[in-house]
Amino acid sequence: MRAARIVLVVVGVLVMAFGASVLVTTVRPDRIWGLATWLVAAVVLHDVVLSPFVVGAGLLLRRTGRTLGAGVLVVVQTAVVLGSVLALVVLPEIAAKHHGQKNPTVLPFDYTTRLLVVEGLLLGVVVVALVVGVVRARRSPEPLVAATTNQ
Amino acid sequence: MRRLLLDARAVMASPNRNARSAVVWGRLLGIAFVVCFGTGVYSHLLQDPLPWMRFPTRPVQLYQFTQGLHITAGIAIIPLLLAKLNVVMPALAQVPPVRGVLHLLERLSIAVLVSASIVQVGTGLLNTYQWYPFPFPFRQTHNAMAYVIIGSLVVHIASKLPVIARYWRARDAYDAEGRFVADPTVGSELLPDGREARPAVGERPADEQTVGSYPRGLTGRLLRWVDGAAAPAAPAAPAAPAAPAAPAASRAERQFTDRESREVSQDAKNGAGTTGVGEEAEAGGASRPAHTDRAARSEQAGSQRGPEHDDTRSGPRQRIARRGFVAAVTAATVGVVALTAGQSNRLLEPLNVFGARQRHVGPQALPVNRTARAAGVLATATAADWTLTVVGPDVTRTFSRAELVALGTATADLPISCVEGWSQMASWRGVRMRDLLASVQADPASPLRITSLEQRGGYRATEMGAEYAADPTTLLALEVNGQTLDLDHGFPARVIAPGRPGVLQTKWIGKIEVIR
Repeated sequence: MRAARIVLVVVGVLVMAFGASVLVTTVRPDRIWGLATWLVAAVVLHDVVLSPFVVGAGLLLRRTGRTLGAGVLVVVQTAVVLGSVLALVVLPEIAAKHHGQKNPTVLPFDYTTRLLVVEGLLLGVVVVALVVGVVRARRSPEPLVAATTNQ
Repeated sequence: MRRLLLDARAVMASPNRNARSAVVWGRLLGIAFVVCFGTGVYSHLLQDPLPWMRFPTRPVQLYQFTQGLHITAGIAIIPLLLAKLNVVMPALAQVPPVRGVLHLLERLSIAVLVSASIVQVGTGLLNTYQWYPFPFPFRQTHNAMAYVIIGSLVVHIASKLPVIARYWRARDAYDAEGRFVADPTVGSELLPDGREARPAVGERPADEQTVGSYPRGLTGRLLRWVDGAAAPAAPAAPAAPAAPAAPAASRAERQFTDRESREVSQDAKNGAGTTGVGEEAEAGGASRPAHTDRAARSEQAGSQRGPEHDDTRSGPRQRIARRGFVAAVTAATVGVVALTAGQSNRLLEPLNVFGARQRHVGPQALPVNRTARAAGVLATATAADWTLTVVGPDVTRTFSRAELVALGTATADLPISCVEGWSQMASWRGVRMRDLLASVQADPASPLRITSLEQRGGYRATEMGAEYAADPTTLLALEVNGQTLDLDHGFPARVIAPGRPGVLQTKWIGKIEVIR
């Protein structure tokens, strides 16, 4: 294990150094500064914006989980995650199209409408799942609310 | 600061955020990275070969496959990377933030890996949209960062090797009830609070050390609100999983709470919680503070306790939370790939909702990257006196279109495959390159330089290896799908060769030279 780790670290550092040398030999220094700002911005974006958002969404889902069944929550969570990832991929595509294409075969679709339709479908799934969950919770022979307030 | 970090860890606690999940998502992400790296380096070398390099010309769809895979795997990385970053989030709030020089270097290497990965995937996606809002050149940076990422990934694997080995198999990571087995001996930063490797733990107040208890202050109140735990005095209400928790289980939890809270305050005074527990000891995971302490003490006393002594509901709850997370990330990965991969995969074409390209859209039902107008060849390419110059080692000849046809034509079914991932098969008709070379008494297996009528552009002049020049399917194409080439597809003549990126299939050709 120890030998393997040492070999891996040495190989990894060498490959990183090769990448850095390729960078400085093929990209102009002022462009490397531009890259550096984007690298820092990526970390900040993740740590300061995305992570708190994900944690907040998780806590909300966890609170919802007190009254709704696990199946409902899994469906809601799946729809939210899929919808978020699709938005993350397609919103830049919409911006790129807005920015103008070199020819009409690049970005040929109306991505705004398509994204709205898909997100609308996912929202429909979420609403149906929540309604089913609430109805089920009300019909439950052992009321959840009582159990919660019994504490 | 310390308090802030501890509060952050408490908020982030979740059954999905453990060392085993990090290994599972890390494996998938690692495979995707290696696939992207291999296909990317191949594509780069096709465009900038080292002098001694020769490439396979069969199967003719090789590049279509490798580059389609590159883009598809790259898109799949987006949800996988988000899942992995979500799983390892508590490691951001390590206490203390730095444990020494090695730990600092390790965290720096992870920062490089994370930021380079985000930028690499993000700019790669933008490149498929042909949008360049970033202040650096795409191709050179993408190539250089690929090595930085793979190198820092190897360093990351090296530093986490004991954790990876320990949690490689599910049966070593979860007990029979489905609870995560926390093993503090392998140095993971993703164990339930109080059990991760942390030398300075003895300085913490006893109640803070208690695994999974609610922190004091605003964070604790927030978490109690989330879990509906009413008793602020009790430090031991379950720090429940973030993602889906079964209501039945929550109900059961609550019945335990009163008893638990008394036991925990007892246990906490004993200052236990970081005792070196062997791998067999059941660890309560995020949600059962008291049991880990009891388990640790009972093991010291030499008695093996079965998992049934713990809250048996905790395991299924953790399991549901984990499976819910796996379901969500799987759906996101499959969804985002299925709705975009139709640009390079015929089978997924009907599902192409968000792809940057659509097959059969464009002149002669073929997409275009660079138009004749953009290339500035509207006049030169349509000139009636266009001729092709072929320069052999000893003989130079010029051909009009009619003279080219007189050399004899052949057809070949070859894909046009772009570095940006889209591809489409087409039927091309034209003069075989080796026939053209024979007409100037050159060896068919000669490396070539092919020059376009374009005035400028990175791919105005391209080079072709001898293996492509000699291949019987490599054509100087004059027609596509039974029609004369459209101006945007390279009229009067273009190169089409098997297994090469679209940027090297030079359009609007003016001159072909044998390189000596």
